[in-house]
Amino acid sequence: MADFLFLTVEDVSDLWLNVKESFEGRVPVKKACLNNKARNPVFVDNLPAEFIQTTDSRLRSRFPQEQYLFWFREPYATVVLVTCEDLDEFKTILKPRLKLIVQNDEREWFIVFVSKAHPSNDQASKMAKKVYARLEADFNTKKRERCCKFDLHGPDAEFWDDFDSKMVDCIRNTLDRRVQFYEEEIRRLSEQRFTPIWNFCNFFILKESLAFMFEMSNLHEDSLREYDELELCYSESVTSPGKHREFGGLDTGDDQAALLNPGFKALTQIVQDDVFREFEFRQYIFACQAKLLFKLSRPIEVAARGHAFVVGFSKTLALHENSLPFCFREVWVITACLGLIKSTTSHYDGGAVSIDTDKEFYRLQGDLYSLCRIKFMRLAYLIGYGVEIEKSPVNSASLSMLPWPKPATWPSIPPDSSAEVMEKEKMVLQAKSREKLFDIHRKPLPLEPSLLLREANRRRAFLSVGNLSELYDSADGSGLDANSKLSPNRSASNFMTRTMSGPATSETSLPVDRPMRLSEIHVAAEHALKQTISDPDFMSSLSSVEEFEKRYMELTKGAADNYHRSWWKRHGVVLDGEIAALFFKHGNYDLAVKSYEKVCALYSAEGWEELLADVLPDLAECQKILNDEAGYLASCVKLLSLDSTLFSSKERQAFQSEVVRLAHSEMKYLVPLDVSSLITFAGSAGPPLELCDGDPGTLSIVVWSGFPDDITLESLSLRLSASSSADEGIKAIKSSDSHVLKPGRNTISFDIPPQKPGSYVLGALTGQIGKLSFRSHGFSQDGPVETDEFMSFETPTRPVLKVRKPRALVDITPAVSSALLMNELQWIGLIVKPIDYSLKGGILHIDAGAELKIEESQMIEIEHYRGDVEHASSADSSAEAGRVEKIPIENGKIKLPDWASDVTTLVWFPVRAIDDTIARGESPASPQKQSVVDGMRMIALKLEFGVFHNQVFERTIAVHFTNPFHVSTRVVDKCNDGTLLLQVILCSEVKATLHVKDVQLDLQSGFEHLGKGDGRPASSLFPLVVAPSSRAGILFIIRLSGTKDLDEVENADSMLNIKYGISGDRTTGAHSPVPAQVGDSEELLFKIALRLKRPVLDPCLAVGFLPFSTDSLRVGQLVNMKWRVERLKTPEDSNISSDEILYQVDANPQNWMVAGRKCGHVSLSNEQGSRMEITVTCIPLVSGYVHPPQLGLPEVGEVNISCNPAGPHLVCVLPPALSTSYCIPAA
Amino acid sequence: MASTACFVIVSKNDIPIYEAEVGSAPKKEDLAHQHQFILHAALDVVQDLAWTTNAMFLRSVDRFSDLVVSVYDSVVHTRFMLLHDSRSDDGIKSFFQEVHELYIKIFLNPLYLPGSRITSSHFDTKVRALARKYL
Repeated sequence: MADFLFLTVEDVSDLWLNVKESFEGRVPVKKACLNNKARNPVFVDNLPAEFIQTTDSRLRSRFPQEQYLFWFREPYATVVLVTCEDLDEFKTILKPRLKLIVQNDEREWFIVFVSKAHPSNDQASKMAKKVYARLEADFNTKKRERCCKFDLHGPDAEFWDDFDSKMVDCIRNTLDRRVQFYEEEIRRLSEQRFTPIWNFCNFFILKESLAFMFEMSNLHEDSLREYDELELCYSESVTSPGKHREFGGLDTGDDQAALLNPGFKALTQIVQDDVFREFEFRQYIFACQAKLLFKLSRPIEVAARGHAFVVGFSKTLALHENSLPFCFREVWVITACLGLIKSTTSHYDGGAVSIDTDKEFYRLQGDLYSLCRIKFMRLAYLIGYGVEIEKSPVNSASLSMLPWPKPATWPSIPPDSSAEVMEKEKMVLQAKSREKLFDIHRKPLPLEPSLLLREANRRRAFLSVGNLSELYDSADGSGLDANSKLSPNRSASNFMTRTMSGPATSETSLPVDRPMRLSEIHVAAEHALKQTISDPDFMSSLSSVEEFEKRYMELTKGAADNYHRSWWKRHGVVLDGEIAALFFKHGNYDLAVKSYEKVCALYSAEGWEELLADVLPDLAECQKILNDEAGYLASCVKLLSLDSTLFSSKERQAFQSEVVRLAHSEMKYLVPLDVSSLITFAGSAGPPLELCDGDPGTLSIVVWSGFPDDITLESLSLRLSASSSADEGIKAIKSSDSHVLKPGRNTISFDIPPQKPGSYVLGALTGQIGKLSFRSHGFSQDGPVETDEFMSFETPTRPVLKVRKPRALVDITPAVSSALLMNELQWIGLIVKPIDYSLKGGILHIDAGAELKIEESQMIEIEHYRGDVEHASSADSSAEAGRVEKIPIENGKIKLPDWASDVTTLVWFPVRAIDDTIARGESPASPQKQSVVDGMRMIALKLEFGVFHNQVFERTIAVHFTNPFHVSTRVVDKCNDGTLLLQVILCSEVKATLHVKDVQLDLQSGFEHLGKGDGRPASSLFPLVVAPSSRAGILFIIRLSGTKDLDEVENADSMLNIKYGISGDRTTGAHSPVPAQVGDSEELLFKIALRLKRPVLDPCLAVGFLPFSTDSLRVGQLVNMKWRVERLKTPEDSNISSDEILYQVDANPQNWMVAGRKCGHVSLSNEQGSRMEITVTCIPLVSGYVHPPQLGLPEVGEVNISCNPAGPHLVCVLPPALSTSYCIPAA
Repeated sequence: MASTACFVIVSKNDIPIYEAEVGSAPKKEDLAHQHQFILHAALDVVQDLAWTTNAMFLRSVDRFSDLVVSVYDSVVHTRFMLLHDSRSDDGIKSFFQEVHELYIKIFLNPLYLPGSRITSSHFDTKVRALARKYL
């Protein structure tokens, strides 16, 4: 019977055929509001329902008992179809009949009055209305309207709404009533739960009926809840202690899980006593639940519940394993998982679900695949495909922790199976364990929880213990290992002897007490499995290795893909590794590499090195086969950089030799190799190397080599990067050291060319092994190799090199600031002061400027400079300090000695300033200004120093040279007899004591010495000592001598020759000249020209300004200016003997107005003592202190006039007196 | 004491920084491999679970046959992972808490670079002692 709600049609007036079509168009019911179990309204869409007539055979055919069982299938509503066109007919016939139909209270009903009247026929319509009104009056109650009117000719929309709501009302009421009924029944049964009469089957029938009813009403949630409760109740009843119950699962086809197929077996087949068999029933319940969940569009929940169910049920199966066929449990799990996967994926569209749900679904799929895969591997292992299974951690972990099946007795070899045994043996023998690259020998990981051989033989009950132990001790003691293929390095020949010598080949019927050999176990298991597995398709996937691998791949891929989709990358990647292993086995290296790379990338990124060490050799091997040199090299490097405990030193050496071999071979594509993890480097401990700007240096860094042996590098260079800027525009710096890296720590020094100022961190280390260039970014912080594997790029890297900003590295200053002697060989001292910088090998270029000559015949003297600070503490180093080294000078170059590289030194070198001009003395007659610049001489210095003479210091210094004396003369007294006392004043110009030994004055013509006439001074006080900056005077007595030529007198010079000695220290200033030749006298000669003028002074006239007659001068008031002119001596020359003198008054016309004669001749007698007055009237024009007019005598030379007052003076002029004439009297 | 127990500390980048086989069962080379594999795979679960709870002790997050992986989320997402076959939840919790204390001490050591391998032998000794005590 279909799972529909039935609605019966009581066709009173034979109308059904007329309305059938339109009625059936209303089902399934689009929208229905039903009450769920908790009596809450629930809206249900598309409620399936079917109209059947009350006369339908399906309603009548049931037995009474069956009717009870299927009561829930009874119609949910009765539609009474009537029509009537006559009131009388209604009253007499129809009404009693209807009353009869509806009197059965248990049924829900409603009446549909069908009006046949055509709308155009008013009469009929009216009649129909009347009858319907009557009908309503009779059958509608206050609570409920049970009638509706259907117009055969075009029913209106309102009718269908009315019809639907009435129909739904009926369904709802019926459902409520029935649910209530069932619930009461269930409650009643539940109360009897722990009484002996309780029967699970009865309970089940009620419960499932209820569930079914809900399901029919599309109330899937409620239905599911009923099943859940049922499952719970079953679990309780089945686990309750009591009589032994059959488990089930022994029928053919039971090995194929039926957990999604509720109709797999009729329930009557599985009922036993008062309860159902667990095997079938649990699957049935789950199938019902799954069906409902699918209807609820919850495939994820099916997967989740399914996974839990499979795991749980697998445990249950394990409990009953000895009564079940061999490996029944494994087979069931596989089929269950596959079934679940298939159905859930087909129901899952992944559309409108959250990302988490999506992930969860795929994870469950992955879990199911994975579970299925493990069980499948187990089966394959049992029948001898174990040699084909990769002994990876994942397989090992899964299989070695999974116990063997525990059948009551282990299957024995069927008769006539010797050929199969032979074949198995052959397979085992042919399957050579793969020789791993690099001769890596690892104990293969186990795939068995315990030795299969032991387990299988132990489970054969009839085997005696003695034989078993014999088996273990057989052959060379490793027979078991060999048989279980756990020892691949065991030689095949050994194995052959052991197997071929056995009795197996000749014997087909096994003696009962002989333990089975492994191949026999496999054959026995295969036969037993053939019995267990009913699905030929499944069995075929175990029929051959190829089929097995096909299915194995399918499962592994499924698991991996789903795990990846669920973001469980680790699970997924691990399985990728298994896929890769299979590809690898089949020579599908391209695909294998892809998968292996994924695995290695994950393990490498997360640093799980042990796991990485397991797969990396495989990847390397693939890459080698594929000729992917770059990848292969990278893998080798990675292998080398793994923790050294993971591989034996021999293996590591093999890795290295591979790298070296490849590096020296002709590689097609030269790719740079990243060896960051293998070769790490760091700056050496301590502060960074500091260099001055422009200096090269040697930076030593520590390089740790992870290679197990020494490795020869063709070159090695280092890149530095400035820590301030990111650009790596710095050239690589090559190392000059030998290029053999020892394992572990190496110190390598790099010569660094001059760098820009700034601080530098280590960038990358590059180099070449053979033709292979490698590059390492791995800077290790410091410390031993163990911590190197961890590289933190977050930690700031320490600068290894600091190049300072340009600064002064050396300073050269002149040692003496005071003047040196001109024209003499003098020492110039230079203080060469290194500023925290070695001047080793420095060369000093000295370039003397014009009028300065370096005496290269002399040696340069270098000594310690003792500054003020050093003076105090130089007691111990006095010997060193006092040292003076003489070094030659060539072409103006001096090589600084080594001892002078770090200390401040004083370099003395002899120079001679040349001044060809003759010095001139100063006299009142020829005042002379001496410029300081005259004695300046420039010396250009250039010091080249630094390791490569890359540092240059240049400076030009000025040295001041001077004559020893500044000479001035004056006439001290002029005697009446014409004798002149000439004083020559010698002023010392140098900071040294001068000893004047002799002075001689060669007078110019027009003068002559008095006395001896040898030009010596008046008094002989020699030697005369002149202290620095002091003066000395020497007196000469001379007189004028008659001369004719005045010009000659004017132009000639007197010459003063001074013989002197000097005693000075070169550290303070001028000193005694360096003897150019041995035996040079220390007496020096200084010549200076003096110019004497005659006559020195000859006043003839005296002009005096006489006081004013009035007290005060006023502007505008006339004042008389009076000068007195007096003749002081009688003029000697006859040509000026005239007794008239020309006078001239000079006045500033702005200040004065001259009223009298400005100039004119006045007579003055030529006699000595004659005098006269000159009066000029002037008017002051401005008030204030003004110069008065002056009287000049133009015809008389200025030297002949003595003025009183001597210079210009000021007079006070008052403002004009107030004049009253302009005043207006106050009125 | 649990017969099998493998303790691993995993840094926030999922890199193991400390490993110790602390079970009483005789050490087998092949087992170490499996343990590594199981613990590594359990990180998949931890990454999902760690964000769903505030508790540091995540209890058993994964199960592999008879072995259970318990996880403790320590400072800055450093995870303590213990693979074990014992059932005592309290013991494991105490073990984790005490190791947490130890780890904090290591963490505060200025010479220890967070996220690098823990090489302190003192730490190792202490962890093994704690394992004997609690597991």
